[in-house]
Amino acid sequence: MNIRALLLSALLVAGAARAADLPTLWAERVKSTVAVEYVTQTELERRPTVSYGTVVDSNGTIILPSAAIDLRVSPAQLKDFKVYLPGDPEGTPAEYIGRDAYTGWHFLRANASVRDRMVPITTFAKATSSNEPRLSDEVWGIGLRNKDEDFTPYILQSHIALIQSLPQRTAIAQQEVAGPGLPVFNHDGEFMGLGASSFGQTFLEFSGADRDGSPIMLVNLEESSAFLVADEVVPYVGRIPKNAFGRPLAWLGAYGLEPMDREVASFLKLQSQSGAVVSEVLEGSPAEKAGLKAHDIILGVDGKPLPRFKPDRVVIDYVERLIAAQAPGDTMVLSILRGSDRIEVTAKLDDEPRLVREADRMYFEKIGFTAREFVYGDAIARHTKAGQSGGVVAHLVKPNSPADIAGLRPDDWIKEIDGSEVGDFASAVSKLGEIEKDMLRTETVFLVSRGSDTAVLRIKLH
Amino acid sequence: MSGGFDKLLDSVVRIDVQEFNFEDGARRIDSSIGSGVILSQDGLILTNAHVAGPKAVEINVTLSNLERVSAKLVGWDHWTDLSLLRLDLSDAKKRGLTFKHAEFGDSEKLYVGETVYAVGTPHGLTRTVTRGIISNNNRYFEDTEGVDGYETGNFNTWLQTDAAINPGNSGGPLVTEDGRIIGITSRAYLGANNLGFAIPSVIAKRVVASLVQDGSITRSYIGIVPKALQDLEGFYDVASNNGVLIDSVETGSPASVAGLQAGDVILAVDGKKVDGRFPEQLPPIQNMIASQPVGSSLVLDYKRGTREMTSTLVTAKLESRIGEEWVSDTWGIAVRKVSLAFARENQLQDDTGVLVIGVQRGFPADVAGLARGDIITKINQNPVGTIDVMKAIDSQYTAKPAPTLFEVQRERRVSLVVLKP
Repeated sequence: MNIRALLLSALLVAGAARAADLPTLWAERVKSTVAVEYVTQTELERRPTVSYGTVVDSNGTIILPSAAIDLRVSPAQLKDFKVYLPGDPEGTPAEYIGRDAYTGWHFLRANASVRDRMVPITTFAKATSSNEPRLSDEVWGIGLRNKDEDFTPYILQSHIALIQSLPQRTAIAQQEVAGPGLPVFNHDGEFMGLGASSFGQTFLEFSGADRDGSPIMLVNLEESSAFLVADEVVPYVGRIPKNAFGRPLAWLGAYGLEPMDREVASFLKLQSQSGAVVSEVLEGSPAEKAGLKAHDIILGVDGKPLPRFKPDRVVIDYVERLIAAQAPGDTMVLSILRGSDRIEVTAKLDDEPRLVREADRMYFEKIGFTAREFVYGDAIARHTKAGQSGGVVAHLVKPNSPADIAGLRPDDWIKEIDGSEVGDFASAVSKLGEIEKDMLRTETVFLVSRGSDTAVLRIKLH
Repeated sequence: MSGGFDKLLDSVVRIDVQEFNFEDGARRIDSSIGSGVILSQDGLILTNAHVAGPKAVEINVTLSNLERVSAKLVGWDHWTDLSLLRLDLSDAKKRGLTFKHAEFGDSEKLYVGETVYAVGTPHGLTRTVTRGIISNNNRYFEDTEGVDGYETGNFNTWLQTDAAINPGNSGGPLVTEDGRIIGITSRAYLGANNLGFAIPSVIAKRVVASLVQDGSITRSYIGIVPKALQDLEGFYDVASNNGVLIDSVETGSPASVAGLQAGDVILAVDGKKVDGRFPEQLPPIQNMIASQPVGSSLVLDYKRGTREMTSTLVTAKLESRIGEEWVSDTWGIAVRKVSLAFARENQLQDDTGVLVIGVQRGFPADVAGLARGDIITKINQNPVGTIDVMKAIDSQYTAKPAPTLFEVQRERRVSLVVLKP
């Protein structure tokens, strides 16, 4: 027996112990993950959806990726949120808090009864400020199986292949490394980032009829090889929305931003520069008040030129995030190119006008449709002045209902009911309510606007 | 059969057409076969607008004696799906060719059940005669893009027949037993059995007269979309058999300027009562308005709610939604001028710009990312008000290729692209 041999065996043991730690690290970190189930309840159906979330604090706060919930759905229609701990068949009720516009995350709070079984992801965050992974670093993450397997957790492992700004710093691993919305760690168990929506991959599909193969794009919804690095996550987990809509929402009102591509930049002698073309300036918006014009090209914000991204399109998300990071009342200085002139405009951001998902709605069973309040976005979509437009929008038309048979279509703008103009939402509701109550009534006539046309619809009531 | 019928057989021709097709962003030539009927000894031939139109580059007519003679377009009217051609008479004379011509009958006198014959070139089978009856002599159907995207059918109803009508019959005559033309066969439901349609001779005669005289037909436009009142008389409190409901008023149209609104019921035009109770009654009313000289004043009596009102409007010229088309061979792009009607339908601010209707793979327009449906509003920062603006820049580019900046509107989004040599 000599000392050297002893040392050698000690090292071997240490190495082996470290490798054996991964299951232990994994078991602890699984407690930061949950599966979330909720129901989208419309007038006609209840549709369940499952997605994955990560626990961010000790109050049971959970974040879900933006894509987990359809933004067109009103929060009032989101019902029965349940949180499932990995491997546990019993769900626990949770409350939907809202969506943060800057990160896009939906926030959720689990019932107190399960909070002590959850561990916030921040527990595993590296103490030092920057911990961006490097190329070829080994990373591992967590995936969850389906509901019929009790959302059993499992491990995914890969190496970093590429890091991109999209515009958030996004690491792309060689293979799938986590479920979307679930965390990724390094070898030491330090939090490295949050699974992003996965990228499509192109495959060739062969069949008997098509022996040359035709390309198809597949997107893995359960696992992703891309993740937002920890620096894009940890500083923002405290952005818990104050309400379901994430209000206040900073609003500029420059509509339809389109990227300026490289060719155009060099044509305009703006070689190293990126830009965003403004398609329209919305009525009454901060952009309009500041004097921004349609077809202006935004070249910089608050004195900083817009950086160039790959692909070019990313610059639009970059500008939108700059706006979302502000609050109503804040000012933004835009450097723009108008024709051949370079000018600066200062816009004082406002709170965004009421959104479609915030609009009031009411379902009328007998006629067979849901009337929705006409909001600012409806006026924009219909090329009309927002202030002066009355009427309601047909939000949903029940199949084979009197409204459907008469030819009412979703998104029709109902301007007149029985020959008189529809005022605001409340007056439309009271009028429609009276029509439904009147048992002797055999018909009602709507004048609707659809695209550039209108139509008179005679709705026969049974 | 009658002598008249024999003469008719000798006046029906096969028409082979070579025409431009811009769909791929290049000048491609498509060929098609249709039918037609000779109307006069000076070589006028009546056929369908969808058989031979302004895009035709070569028209060849096969006479009943199987001799081929070329023909030229005299004029077309897509609204009724009719075209008028003229045979190359000098060539026919040189070669000593003779032909017969047919006479119109009166489509107004047809009765349902009357025996009729369709003569034409179904699937290229020259001089095929099929027999049937008039199934309906006043058929209404909406077909807004019937002639290669051009509007059709607003101003006439159709004859429906069960005589077999197949592709290639188009433009051939539908005749009575005495060989008189009572309709021009124009379409059939594919996949259905013996549901064929023809333009009544009463319409065709008028169109031929105008095309002979002016090479085109000018119609008046007021900008309303009418709807049959059918069962709504009670709601609008109007007498039965009087009134046309306005379903839609086009923005900026004469009717809109005169203050008419959707939901109004037109009771009389220039003091003459109109009856639009059933859909079949709408085309004659539209035709009556369209037949007024452009710029004439029309007095409309109408009802809005309980009020009876009167407005005078001045008619404008009816224009198609399809504007002038052109292909740039250097850029590999086919474009169509944005028309007022297209701008209105698509809620564009005005009719500036050209619509991309075809892009050739691998050419500068394709490489820069232009696609069908885009609207080019500016080139090198000059507004594209007419096709000529584009042609001028194109010839500069062809002479001296240099990067060219296009401003493009896609849906409502504006983007900039550079086309490079």
